[in-house]
Amino acid sequence: MLRGGLIPNRPYVVCGTTGSGKTTLGIQFLHQGVRQGERALLVAIDEPPAEIRENVRALGWDVGKIRILDVHPTAKAFSKRVSLVEVAAQRSVASLKDAGSSAKTEAMKQASPDISVQSLQLMLNQELKEIRYSRVVIDSLTSLKKLSEGMDDMNNSISSLLRFLSEAKVTSLIITDLPDPTDLEPEIFICRGEIRLHKRMIANRIDRCITIEKFRGSPHDTVPRPMTLTETGIRVDAKKRIPKSSMRMLQAFTQFGR
Amino acid sequence: MIKEKVKTGVPGLDDMLEGGLIPARAYIVSGTTGSGKTTLAMQFLLEGVRQGERVVYVCLDEPPNEVKSDMRSYGWDIGRVQVFDATPDIMSYDKTPVRDVSTERRVFYFKDVPDTIRLTSERSPADMTINTLQEILKQEMKERRYTRVVIDSLTSLRYFYIRTSEENSSMMSFLRLLSDLEVTSLLTLHLPEVSKPDVEVHVARGEIRLHKWIDGRGLVRGITVEKYRGSSHDNRLRFMRITSEGVVVKPLAQEKPAKQVEGGEGDEGQDEPPAPEEDQSATAPAALQGPTVPEDIPPPPGNMPDHGGDGI
Repeated sequence: MLRGGLIPNRPYVVCGTTGSGKTTLGIQFLHQGVRQGERALLVAIDEPPAEIRENVRALGWDVGKIRILDVHPTAKAFSKRVSLVEVAAQRSVASLKDAGSSAKTEAMKQASPDISVQSLQLMLNQELKEIRYSRVVIDSLTSLKKLSEGMDDMNNSISSLLRFLSEAKVTSLIITDLPDPTDLEPEIFICRGEIRLHKRMIANRIDRCITIEKFRGSPHDTVPRPMTLTETGIRVDAKKRIPKSSMRMLQAFTQFGR
Repeated sequence: MIKEKVKTGVPGLDDMLEGGLIPARAYIVSGTTGSGKTTLAMQFLLEGVRQGERVVYVCLDEPPNEVKSDMRSYGWDIGRVQVFDATPDIMSYDKTPVRDVSTERRVFYFKDVPDTIRLTSERSPADMTINTLQEILKQEMKERRYTRVVIDSLTSLRYFYIRTSEENSSMMSFLRLLSDLEVTSLLTLHLPEVSKPDVEVHVARGEIRLHKWIDGRGLVRGITVEKYRGSSHDNRLRFMRITSEGVVVKPLAQEKPAKQVEGGEGDEGQDEPPAPEEDQSATAPAALQGPTVPEDIPPPPGNMPDHGGDGI
């Protein structure tokens, strides 16, 4: 659908409702990087690493080489806030292989850093100085934004984070919830492409499809394609069209927006 | 009597505008992400270059090196378009003093844009505000007489350069500056999927809106002239495509809504209606498309049913 893949060193958005397969797609993207000998980093905000490891193990992937930046805010509510600089020093990167069975990592027990868009950029800055990652997934920006609520300059911080990833020569997938159709989030228009995952109940089956909403600098498939979550990850059939009933659902959705 | 109109360079759009845009005014090009705004704006600048005019692209969304490589996929040479890089720097979040950006950044030709992204200076990231941007543009306009300006995008200007308290007044003064400078300008505006009008749209002298939606079997694109002060214009929704030649507005006679579906691979299904004959060169059937096209090699013309969302 992307005519060969993503253009390197650019940020892309993957969005969809819960359970639409965003995280799976993200990890699949990292897994592909690792298989090609690249370094890949997962920024885990929504789920603790141990849970992610269990989930992807079920898919039969060897994800041991994917590094994971654990910023799951488990213990945050119960301790005092620490400054941004301290957060940067306390970041913890673990290999998915090492993710313990306990949901909390050691670093998490010791400190409960204030996670925000700003502190994530600082953490990534330190991490990227040490290791040259070529693929990064942020799962999810929606949660990160919720955690950063009340911060000044949210728009600028997001623009800055994406710029930072580009300058660091990282191809990144930014995972977000489906955007509010009446609102315009900065990441949606700054990103160089948007992949959207759709999941709806039609009659008594779950209907999944995938669309490329935008892709700067490359021709691409504009037809919605059926997608399945299989035992080995996400599969898209780029030769097939989605059933008429699914198309009608999408149609209703986009016509509303006109 | 109005002076001669300015051609947009977009096939079909000038007919909708009864010959083109009235010179020395500001116009909005609006649409959701991936609707073709940047592509249309670049066609407008390239038309200026063809006429021997001085044109400038103010880059706010995407770094110039990426715009340059994106436009190569249309096979366009944008080397003679001048560019001002106003993309925001990485924020440092500490108290290093910021430089005055106006001494650091200049307008230059796209041909001189390097292939890699401009790196934020580690010591002192630049702090750009709407005022510095306005000053730089004013200065540039005095030195070189530009006739066409594109601001891509006005949305970034609003989101990243303007404090909420003074949002509307800053925006209006910026638009005022453009008309004082007597340039014909296109300002791109990102719309959410369901949009409500904003101050820019009221102040601009016209608005061209790009649409995309799903219809029956795939994506359909349309274009409307929402507003055009001082000129009559086409009131109808016209269908358009983003081809390897950029944005192309379909002539009215060929419009058959259900059949204006853009195809990708796999479009060769038996239910695909034959494309109108005179169209074959620009929008060859999808079946001819190879399995993958490397993104930085311009595909041969006529081999690309949809060029997708190059414009944001």
